[in-house]
Amino acid sequence: MMAPVVAVLMLLQVDSTKQFPYPPPARPLLAFGETILINTLVNRVDAWGFQQDWARSGTRAWARNLRLGWEWDEDAFFTNMFSHPYHGALYFNSGRSNGMGYFESVPVAFFGSWSWENFGETYRPSLNDWFMTSFGGITLGEMFHRVGATIRDNNAGGGTRILREIAALPIDPIGGFNRLLRGQWSAKGPNPPEHAPADYVLRLGGGLRFAKQFIHDSSATSMGTFLLDLLYGDQVGQAYKAPFDVFNVRVLLSTYGGLNALRASGRLYGKNLNSPTGRNRHMLAVNQRYDFYKNPAQSVGGQSIEIGINSRWLIGSKGFGIRTALFGDGILLGAIDAPGTGLGDRTYDFGPGAGARWELALEKHGARFLRVFSQLEYIHAVSGASADHLVDFGGIEAAIPIARGLGLSASSTIFGRTSRYTDGRTRDAREFPEARLLLVWTKVGFGK
Amino acid sequence: MRLALCLVGLLLMGAGSITAQQPPDTTVAPPVRRGPRPHRNGLWGEFGFGAGQVRVGCSDCENVIVANGATSYVRIGSTVSDNVLIGFEFFSLLDQAFGFATGDTTTTAETGTAAIIIMWYPGRHGLFIKGGVGAAYGSFSVPTDSGGVVRADTSTGGGVGLTFGLGWDLPISRKFALTGNLSGFVTALGDVVLPGRRVDDVIATVYQASIGFTIR
Repeated sequence: MMAPVVAVLMLLQVDSTKQFPYPPPARPLLAFGETILINTLVNRVDAWGFQQDWARSGTRAWARNLRLGWEWDEDAFFTNMFSHPYHGALYFNSGRSNGMGYFESVPVAFFGSWSWENFGETYRPSLNDWFMTSFGGITLGEMFHRVGATIRDNNAGGGTRILREIAALPIDPIGGFNRLLRGQWSAKGPNPPEHAPADYVLRLGGGLRFAKQFIHDSSATSMGTFLLDLLYGDQVGQAYKAPFDVFNVRVLLSTYGGLNALRASGRLYGKNLNSPTGRNRHMLAVNQRYDFYKNPAQSVGGQSIEIGINSRWLIGSKGFGIRTALFGDGILLGAIDAPGTGLGDRTYDFGPGAGARWELALEKHGARFLRVFSQLEYIHAVSGASADHLVDFGGIEAAIPIARGLGLSASSTIFGRTSRYTDGRTRDAREFPEARLLLVWTKVGFGK
Repeated sequence: MRLALCLVGLLLMGAGSITAQQPPDTTVAPPVRRGPRPHRNGLWGEFGFGAGQVRVGCSDCENVIVANGATSYVRIGSTVSDNVLIGFEFFSLLDQAFGFATGDTTTTAETGTAAIIIMWYPGRHGLFIKGGVGAAYGSFSVPTDSGGVVRADTSTGGGVGLTFGLGWDLPISRKFALTGNLSGFVTALGDVVLPGRRVDDVIATVYQASIGFTIR
């Protein structure tokens, strides 16, 4: 009953003029209404299509959920730390694709997740789901919104235009749906500013990954791996304009285990600390960060806010330079596995925390060819074991050019974890070293 | 997993599109001009009091414990844009007749949140939506009689807190406003250890109705 009413209300905000006004008019009713439609659609597909009992929620379940309130769930690490944030990106982009800004779309993401948790399932609402779906959805959603706008081109026509619209769909399906609704898949007009980032570095690579204990019951020590690195905008060369005007994302896939790492960080705020025209630059930045690391040996991830300084020192006149980053962070909610952690079927803890990271890199025209980095994070469990976890992560990466755009990349990293328990269990620690050798292709678009 | 692979595949398609994109398009319409914002401007502050209800659940609890208490808060912040404010909020609830078990009203419970908040004014009126995240604190004191000497055993927990809500700024002059608030505070406190009892994975949710005084 709710969905048809919302659909009618939303129609009042649909604009089918096929134009591309900038800034686009904000349609909050449509944005919030679309989150209800997303939830209704997902719920009915699960209930009718997949015969899931947990999706057969009704007024009795809604009243119970509202009365009992939040709990911690027992879902798998991948579900909680990746699938839910991806779902949250749909909510967030309901706002972004309806003319709402970054901050204005934040409540849309929280509302979408809150309403799903309370009304979409018979289970009690899960606090970790609300956190991960909302904060993770905001980080991934804004990134997807910008990458989607880069893929789409309002000046293109014919088959290229359609291909671009389709290619952007899995990244920003809600944006694509709204454009289709407004006839903007074919209409021509100006592109939004995020369509063409002034600076970017894209690196793709494939090769081998070496480590011990990849697979517990196997002697395998190497496997195929795939890398994607995207730097969107310049952390020090670009004055702050809007949240996520600068972001970076790293994706690591392996032939065993699939998604090994997904790390995304977007600038929420930036301030020049010296002359913007100087050769050496220092910039204060506040970033929103999403981390997901999963191996048979380790699972850690979370949503963080970090503050620190990015610097760049130019060397000579051929584009070489040194970049440094020094950041402290607060983990809003993190997740980590260790012996004895978890709750019920869940094998990892949830908790807030804090940490710091530093990085030193040599670059040419914005593309790093030698990078040394280290990160230390503390997580205090509030669900699972009575434990405090310390995670450290560091390594070195080098990329050697062998032809135009092509290069060899070698890296070595060590992941360490120490867990201290307050309920009498002994302290547990382990290390996980690994190395990678990849053939990489780099595309640089700096200083246009 | 297929979803992840699909996502990465499409990212690659997007990357190809980056390399093939057109030069930046400068034919964009000029931004719409608006008048001065009618609500908070520059540095602003707010404090207030109200009634609150705390609902405490835990991983082994089959029901929630509900209690009422007094609440207070302080907010201070600045403006991000015409419609968006950012600030800090300090909130606490105190209940001196709390209980973790039915009929047990000897525990003093205090929960607090220190959060970074975002306030969004969707229109030109005083209505705003608030959301924030920060550190949470919970303290539970139980009086115990040890050999005729009554003392309080206190257990504290620290964790993470979320806040959300809505409110309305009612201007009473150019610089001052009365602000009505309906807020929720979700605080995850971890394990709370009381004398002879351990309560696992405590989540305290506080609902608050308050009146505040705003300097804007």
